[in-house]
Amino acid sequence: MKVLLVEDNERVTRFVVKGLQESGHTTDHAGNGRDGLFLAASERYDVIVMDRMLPGNIDGLTIIEALRKAGNHTPILILSALSDVDERINGLRAGGDDYLTKPFAFGELLARLDALTRRGRQDATQTTLEVGDLKMDLLSRKVTRDNRSIQLQPREFKLLEYLMRHAGQVVTRTMLLENVWDYHFDPQTNVVDVHISKLRQKIDVDSAPSLLKTVRNAGYMISAEPVLEPSGG
Amino acid sequence: MARVIRSSAVTLAIGYVLFGFAALVLFAAPLRYAWQATVEDFRVELLQEDTQRFVQVFKLRGPEGLSDFIRERVSMQIAGERILLLTDASLHPLAGNLRAWPQGVPRKPGSYSVPIELAGQLTRVSVVRTTLPGGYNLLVGRDDRFAPIERRFWEGLAAAVAVLSVAGLLGAILIRKALLARIHSTQQTVAAIMRGDLSHRLPVRSGGDELELLARTINRMLEQIEQLVHGVANVSNSIAHDLRTPLAELRSRLEELSLTRPAPAETFQEIDSAVADVDNVIRIFNALLRLAEIDAGMRRSGFVEVDVADLAAKAVEFYLPAAELKNVNISFREPGAVLARGDRVLLAQAVNNLLDNALKYVGEGGKIAVEVLRQADGAIAIIVADDGPGIPDAEKPKVAQRFYRGDVSRGTPGVGLGLSLVQAIAKLHDGALELTDNHPGLRAQMILQRGTLPEPAPVESNVTAADYPVIISSSARASTASS
Repeated sequence: MKVLLVEDNERVTRFVVKGLQESGHTTDHAGNGRDGLFLAASERYDVIVMDRMLPGNIDGLTIIEALRKAGNHTPILILSALSDVDERINGLRAGGDDYLTKPFAFGELLARLDALTRRGRQDATQTTLEVGDLKMDLLSRKVTRDNRSIQLQPREFKLLEYLMRHAGQVVTRTMLLENVWDYHFDPQTNVVDVHISKLRQKIDVDSAPSLLKTVRNAGYMISAEPVLEPSGG
Repeated sequence: MARVIRSSAVTLAIGYVLFGFAALVLFAAPLRYAWQATVEDFRVELLQEDTQRFVQVFKLRGPEGLSDFIRERVSMQIAGERILLLTDASLHPLAGNLRAWPQGVPRKPGSYSVPIELAGQLTRVSVVRTTLPGGYNLLVGRDDRFAPIERRFWEGLAAAVAVLSVAGLLGAILIRKALLARIHSTQQTVAAIMRGDLSHRLPVRSGGDELELLARTINRMLEQIEQLVHGVANVSNSIAHDLRTPLAELRSRLEELSLTRPAPAETFQEIDSAVADVDNVIRIFNALLRLAEIDAGMRRSGFVEVDVADLAAKAVEFYLPAAELKNVNISFREPGAVLARGDRVLLAQAVNNLLDNALKYVGEGGKIAVEVLRQADGAIAIIVADDGPGIPDAEKPKVAQRFYRGDVSRGTPGVGLGLSLVQAIAKLHDGALELTDNHPGLRAQMILQRGTLPEPAPVESNVTAADYPVIISSSARASTASS
């Protein structure tokens, strides 16, 4: 994917650009608000990573508002040192699609960028989700694996739905907390891991390798293809 | 400051005195006018009647006859009571009790008020001047019978002014003295606070006057400031104290790596551990920032209606699998929706922290009871009780302090901010965190909205112990046995 990074801190820039490059993405970089707005408006990007506080009188939120007013709907991830819940809400209200607080792990950023670019392509009218022989019917709320029915509690269903909507992508613990439980704070425990392993028990079959994989230092991924990373649990 | 008070007290007194004067004038002026109108008219009428009588005598008996009549009259009456004077055309006195025609009486006939020397004293007298046929002039006057009353009126007025002035002056002195006395204690308190001792409070007497009200409000403000300042001091102390340990660990880890230069595999493992160390530091920072944010009371503006029972149910559901792993039974009771005005994110975090805390300390196969209820006084209680080791009474007040970790908790992961966060959140919602003994274990009770009236929701009516539906009760044994 093609990413625009609007960020004034050199070290953060190097860190993000290098990481994205290694993951096979191309990155344009703007060091101030004016250049950022110019690039965002003139080029086509799959996703924009926007720092909130920028030199040059134009801050991140102003750029986002300007882009949205101009009808540009490129997904935007806001990067900020401001961690207040209110700041997060302000960022999303201005037109941002996701919010990540500095300091952050690169895996978290990459997973969220993946989720944002994938979201744009997703068909909203989809009624079934499929990963290998695991099928989820969103209307009847039934889950089957190899035609064998799987009983899930509502929250487990929501968790699996989120994972399947992002099949083949890494999903971090924070993303799960935010999207499945609506928790915008750090519960400081490994409770998410416990939920995952419980879900894994329910959907896995003895004959096949686990569909729900643990990605080291990042999170989880549901995928029918075997990944190079050793799967956990 | 004292100068300002002095002038303000005096200004107040002067204002009141001037107001008093104005009231006196408003009272006296119409009185004086009424007096003037009534008494003067009456006096002139009398004089004119007298004059008519003398004119009759003149008409019947001529000038000589009138002179005799006047002389007879004058000899009969008390000197000064009545003024009578008859002169010829050139104002030479013919008869009467005045030796000469008084100056100041106008030429034209009519009634006048003129000063006349009587018994060696210049007195204002009402007179009527009449011109008789043949150029004779007749002056009839009457000493002012009402003068003493009038004088008394003026004297009374002067006395009132004097009393008013003295009272005003006295009042000013007293007000100033009282104000200064009150201000003085305030001033001393404020001076002590400025010197850095925030524990001082303004003296408040039992009376409820305006200054007491002000003193009470200021005291509340001082309390808030003291708490904030102490909070900040605590946070800085805690940061210095508790961030030093993980940072020192991180530093030695990196230094060792740089010195020993081990094989790549081990190096990367060490780097991963270093990143985990940093993450832990960041977590502490985030918790501290959140605490500071809550302590500053900034989040209150974003309060919305929150169903606390629903939040608790979600938290229980969230921790259930983890509890099952540990073979811990979580029971949950709620009376239906319990609405509170609050911050959804913070309340959820507080409930989760309580559960997390309980789950951390409760033993294998233990029990955790979660309960949400609305108390009779309208306050909301979220109770998380476990049967773990509990907290010794001596340590209970300390556990909510930042970074405090009891002896029991040494060796368990955590940064020691959980309960202080809960306490701060409860406080933000006009409540408190209460820790009591659960015999055995800890009973943590988070109170919200203390002192607010219960909402007129039907929720109140079914708050009886027997009515609580047990929503989630997991017996974890069966599911964990298989894993």
